[in-house]
Amino acid sequence: MEEPGAKMQNKKSDRVKDSKLLKICRDTAARIGRQSVDEFEIFSAGSVATEIEIFNGKVETLSFSDSIGLGIRIFKDRSIGYAYTSVLDTGSIEDCIEKAVSNSKITKKEDYNYLPREEEFKFKEKLIDDSVLFREDMLKMNTRDKIALAKELEKLTKSKDKRIVSINNVTYSDGIYETAILNSAGLCDKYRATSCFIYAAVISRQGKDTSTGDFFDYGRAASDMDLEKVAKTAASRSVSVLGGKKIKSGRVDLLLDPVVSSQLLGVISGSLTADTVQKGKSLFKGKIGKKIFSIDVDIFDDGTLPSGLVSKPFDGEGVTKGKTHVFEKGYLKTYLYNTYTARKDKTLSTGNAVRASYRSTPIVGTSNFYLKPSNTGFDELLAGIDRGFYVMDIIGLHSGVNPISGQMSVGAKGIWIEKGSLKYPVKEVTIATDILSFCRSIKKVGKDLLFLPWGGYTGSPSMVVRDIMVGGR
Amino acid sequence: MIGSGLTKNILNTLLKNGADFSEIFVQKRISGILRLDDSKIDNSSSGYELGCGLRLWAGDSTFYAYVDSLQKEKLLDAAKVLSSAVNGSSSLKVMDLTSAESSYHTDIKKFPERISQDTKRDILESVDRKSRDFSPYIIQVTANLSDVTEEVYIANSNGIYSYEEKVKTFLGINAVAKKKTEVRTGYKSLAKTSGYEIFDIKSPEKVALEAAEIAVNMLDAVGAPAGELPVVIGPAFGGVIFHEACGHGLEADAVMKDASVFKGQIGKKIASDIVTAADDSTIKYLWGSYKFDGEGCPSSKTVLIKDGILTSYIYDIRTSVKLKAKQTGNGRRQSFRDVPIPRMSNTYIANGKQDKSSIIKSVNRGIYAKEFAGGQVDPATGDFVFGISEGYLIENGKISFPIKGATLIGNGLAILKKIEAVGNDLDFAPGICGKNGQAVSNEVGQPTIKVSRMTVGGTGS
Repeated sequence: MEEPGAKMQNKKSDRVKDSKLLKICRDTAARIGRQSVDEFEIFSAGSVATEIEIFNGKVETLSFSDSIGLGIRIFKDRSIGYAYTSVLDTGSIEDCIEKAVSNSKITKKEDYNYLPREEEFKFKEKLIDDSVLFREDMLKMNTRDKIALAKELEKLTKSKDKRIVSINNVTYSDGIYETAILNSAGLCDKYRATSCFIYAAVISRQGKDTSTGDFFDYGRAASDMDLEKVAKTAASRSVSVLGGKKIKSGRVDLLLDPVVSSQLLGVISGSLTADTVQKGKSLFKGKIGKKIFSIDVDIFDDGTLPSGLVSKPFDGEGVTKGKTHVFEKGYLKTYLYNTYTARKDKTLSTGNAVRASYRSTPIVGTSNFYLKPSNTGFDELLAGIDRGFYVMDIIGLHSGVNPISGQMSVGAKGIWIEKGSLKYPVKEVTIATDILSFCRSIKKVGKDLLFLPWGGYTGSPSMVVRDIMVGGR
Repeated sequence: MIGSGLTKNILNTLLKNGADFSEIFVQKRISGILRLDDSKIDNSSSGYELGCGLRLWAGDSTFYAYVDSLQKEKLLDAAKVLSSAVNGSSSLKVMDLTSAESSYHTDIKKFPERISQDTKRDILESVDRKSRDFSPYIIQVTANLSDVTEEVYIANSNGIYSYEEKVKTFLGINAVAKKKTEVRTGYKSLAKTSGYEIFDIKSPEKVALEAAEIAVNMLDAVGAPAGELPVVIGPAFGGVIFHEACGHGLEADAVMKDASVFKGQIGKKIASDIVTAADDSTIKYLWGSYKFDGEGCPSSKTVLIKDGILTSYIYDIRTSVKLKAKQTGNGRRQSFRDVPIPRMSNTYIANGKQDKSSIIKSVNRGIYAKEFAGGQVDPATGDFVFGISEGYLIENGKISFPIKGATLIGNGLAILKKIEAVGNDLDFAPGICGKNGQAVSNEVGQPTIKVSRMTVGGTGS
């Protein structure tokens, strides 16, 4: 019998293939009345995506999306207005232009409000293009293969441990994306990218205790992904905390799993954008040239990392992307800039204007943001801890960490460490510190760099953090 | 939004290869955002979206696709592709469409399109002034004013259709206070499923003052304790504890997948006798209220816990069919791009009998958690957290020092039985809840409550 859904095929969107996007941008530009605006920018994005969820050997949900839209920024008398539309008929586009023009009449006039000029780009040369970002083999994969891959992951994961009672979520998703930008200063460019992602979430039980764990992998095509590793890691992250108990409150050393350290680094990265600094909302304000970490860590924001899922040739306002050394040997070297904030600080744009979609105006954000790994293996990090807590997962990051005040307090689970070895599982405890103390308390980093593909794209290896308050009994 | 002939044609095209159910969801969304940051209006943005989501089921499988358009050919094309997910034939056919009924009616007085940009700007500039005037310690104010005007048309193969016009208005204010090297933030929002009349009930300036006051009150905060203590949780946004500790675990998709600690607990005692809780999407103008849910089912009030006994889960159509339960009108979705799933609407713990002051007085040493930054839960284990953004120590029955932000951690099954006191000051607060990548508007609520013991995640001891 044919698998339900297998015959269904997302049309490999002709419009993404033929790049209708630039034509849409040009047609839109032709409709903008030059007398009512000084400058303009049209940003258009299209995607064709598939998402498959498997449960108990069957397709639970299969969804296809085929989306396109554009956003218009109007510059008039040093003010900016924005409007977007997902409907691309002539009437809707003219409405959109009209709204953007009208929005430009209400925002504050500022001398820095004009389109980026090439001499303001920190990085002059394009370091990445479609030949790396776009994979033809992604187009050839049919729905049947995708369903089979997700089912295989479910089966593999289930087989890893007898205590696994359910794989409550297996997701496969992929997408083909095209982005185009055109502005009245002469910029006209586009790129295409492919990506795919798999995820497994495991529930295990032992006696009355239930435990969950999950893991993922991603790539530019399905062949980049390692199902065996996802299955093994997800299973182990669930069963290894079975029977966890609360420990007594007190200060101990922490060994942070990369899943945890990269989430915390993600919070820190948000405070390094020039926007938060200029508005007095960053802990790193006035700290350029200062030593923030007590060890020699190097942290980069690299918009052109070949394997980086958010790599692209240019940013959300068309500025060339590159690699910025943010922390060098523990010293803060620079903030991250778009053109507006760069003009304010009399420097160049680092290509960090980010747009979540055509629905948003460009804001300053990170690219592939990561802490450079060392040569130290996980076992060596573990061996150096006399009494501590191996933190495998945290919960409540968005409610427990305040990047402006710096306070950090999150829920945690993992395994208790004694004399360099893992002893017993721990759950329902908290870890608390503040961001700057956290940076100073990092004593060692490992070699197992892991990027998290959601909520930005931040990567960190395991790390040892000394003397942190754990709240429990 | 589309005619009944085309609706039936699409529904029947979706059914033709043997599907058990088909649905069309049409949405038109006009949105506006105005933002003030650093005492400047720095973003004025307008959005227009129009599209249609198509769904069918066959056995246990759901198939979904959407189109950014209402063009007849594109819709029929997408329906044909989607119908090919199933191979067989169907005897199901939609002949007639009947309108769904809902008791929820609203009267919008000030539609966003009638409010001038100047008026909106004045609101934000006044918010900025009011916050800064409150204290010299306020160094920054960010305020967002946004509105959405929406039309939604839903029809399904049960022969039911619904149509709803919605207006939503939101004001969120974040104030930053600084004293020497200490920096604190205060956040308050006002959000309703109605127009700009929301500011006739509560002024934007009042919201601004509340945000500024939290930031300034917390400037002298000391490190929160770490360990187990009695916790008194304030009214309104304090209801996030119920939302996380229990609400998500009652959403029937988690129950169906054996991924909820509340599975098999209907009719059983899961909370102290003094706890009664409900999900109610019919409370007029609340942020999580609606006439019809994302599947065209009418809004309703569902008692979840009655005197400590679990009485119902929260269902969408699919889970109610599967679990043979009564539909509760909680199938919600972020937009036409998303598959509906069971979600809370306005969820709250009902009023009890005690005064807030007597509850505080009953605590010898503990925490008073007044405002929160949100929370998170793992429904399969029941482990949850929520972050305090304004909190105080209670010493000898009195509120004393402010404490720095700290996370509270607990387990849903255990915590509900530890609720020792329920106050009589029920209030609500709006929030945005994320699940499976979809954000929807919710309101949480509760009177002041006391939990006998909970782990407080501070830095002190």
